[in-house]
Amino acid sequence: MVPIIKTEGLCHRYSVGTPFERAAIEDIDFEAKRGEFIGVIGHTGSGKSTFIQHLNGLLKPTAGRVYYEGRDIWESKAATRETRFKVGIVFQYPEYQLFEETVYKDIAFGPKNMKISDDEIDMRVREAAEFVGIDSELLERSPFDLSGGQKRRVAIAGVIAMGPSVLILDEPGAGLDPRGRESILENIKRYHEATDATVIMVTHSMEEIASAVDRIVVFNRGRIAMNGTPGEVFSRGEELEDMGLSVPEVTRIAKRLRELGLPVDTSVYTIEQLKSILLSLKGGGRGA
Amino acid sequence: MLKDITLGQYFPGDTFIHRLDPRTKLIMSLEYIVLLFVARDYFSYGLLFAYLVLIIAVSKVRLKIILNGMKPILILVVLTALLNLFYTPGNTVVSFWVLRITDAGIKNAFLMVIRIMMLIAGTFLLTYTTSPIDLTDGLEKLLNPLKKFKAPVHELSMMMSIALRFIPTLIEETDKIMSAQKARGADFETGSIIQRAKALLPLLVPLFVSAFRRADELAVAMESRCYHGGQGRTKMKQLILRPQDYLTLALGVLLAAGTVMLAVLGL
Repeated sequence: MVPIIKTEGLCHRYSVGTPFERAAIEDIDFEAKRGEFIGVIGHTGSGKSTFIQHLNGLLKPTAGRVYYEGRDIWESKAATRETRFKVGIVFQYPEYQLFEETVYKDIAFGPKNMKISDDEIDMRVREAAEFVGIDSELLERSPFDLSGGQKRRVAIAGVIAMGPSVLILDEPGAGLDPRGRESILENIKRYHEATDATVIMVTHSMEEIASAVDRIVVFNRGRIAMNGTPGEVFSRGEELEDMGLSVPEVTRIAKRLRELGLPVDTSVYTIEQLKSILLSLKGGGRGA
Repeated sequence: MLKDITLGQYFPGDTFIHRLDPRTKLIMSLEYIVLLFVARDYFSYGLLFAYLVLIIAVSKVRLKIILNGMKPILILVVLTALLNLFYTPGNTVVSFWVLRITDAGIKNAFLMVIRIMMLIAGTFLLTYTTSPIDLTDGLEKLLNPLKKFKAPVHELSMMMSIALRFIPTLIEETDKIMSAQKARGADFETGSIIQRAKALLPLLVPLFVSAFRRADELAVAMESRCYHGGQGRTKMKQLILRPQDYLTLALGVLLAAGTVMLAVLGL
């Protein structure tokens, strides 16, 4: 199967031709399959934000190519524009992009730009609002009257309403309280399951990423440093810490237990996994 | 794109000019502008040009930067040159169709172009060598006497420094919102003028909202640090006129005297 999104030798340099020139990302080869849930982690300035902006043609690569379903997105103007609708990006703090008089109109902004029928727009807006948990009575309110968490949901709905096959989110939980973070993550997971869209999520929270994703891509100094399942990535805890990243608490506990001499697998990253390991150890201890 | 604006930018350095008191530089710049309009002919212009070359040499601002700064006014310069060239009465040198070029026209065009370019270069040198904070500090101190007439001098200079401080922030914010709306299919580049103006709405509304929010936050932050206007407020960096400032100001007096003398003599 053709990967839904693929990059080859992607490079981006800022301020080309001036003394301030620097490479933000270098030589990125990346692939995402349809329906995959991918987590992207990396230190501030590691190039992850620059990278995601290439996936829907907001930034033009200095070198290398980006393919959407096997087609170069810079092949023609029409192709670039089409990719914008197929690959939706929710930026960091997306609530600052709201501008319409009502929540409904704001969510409808994306679909309207796609030039689809009004009925279709209406359907998509209501569907998207439901996905992010915005009550239909809020749709006629001004987005500026909502709370911070609600604004964020509306902004996410605005991207979901375009029906993207690839949904990219840059730190969707940043600045929210734990409950808000969790419920937004739940909404995203639900959207992923219901639509079979590919989801790429940039985050700082290891717990968040560990429980949701199929695969983790780690960025370091503008390059992909690791690419694998959460278990594979988190078992390389020391390397992650060298990059200024951490591992989930559970993994850290497992590692410490191993250092203390218990035969614990250090690639665990959920409470359930660790629980079953510890229980089996306990059971084994009794049996002996 | 937006980040490439150099107009009014400050280039840090540690030269004689950079170290001068901002008041000295403000006074000298103002004097220079006035003198440019006093100048009459090649000699007075030559004197002012020599002064400009001296300042550029001492301040070590690269010539390329100064020339780059003149790009935006290129059209104005060309237009001025053409108008002066064709509409100055005098002895005809060349004529074709309804247009005729006179000897006085050529001279006028040349001097006008030189005047505008020197004017721009002179004022740019002020902002190139003076940080925005120094500049507003100097301005406040210079305008201090106006406080006697109840002019809100401190408030004005505070507004100016805040405005200067937030230009880069707003540019960055504009870039961000633009990307976000483009990701939702907004199109800022094509369509008729009316369509393009309408397309700016999704950019301007969030920008204004965030500007107001920032203003609000800044006001709270300032008040929580007990800011209540300029009354009795002391400065960390005191402005003191030093020997080099008096030297520069003396040079300014000489320059003024020289230019006025040459102009009176019609040179």
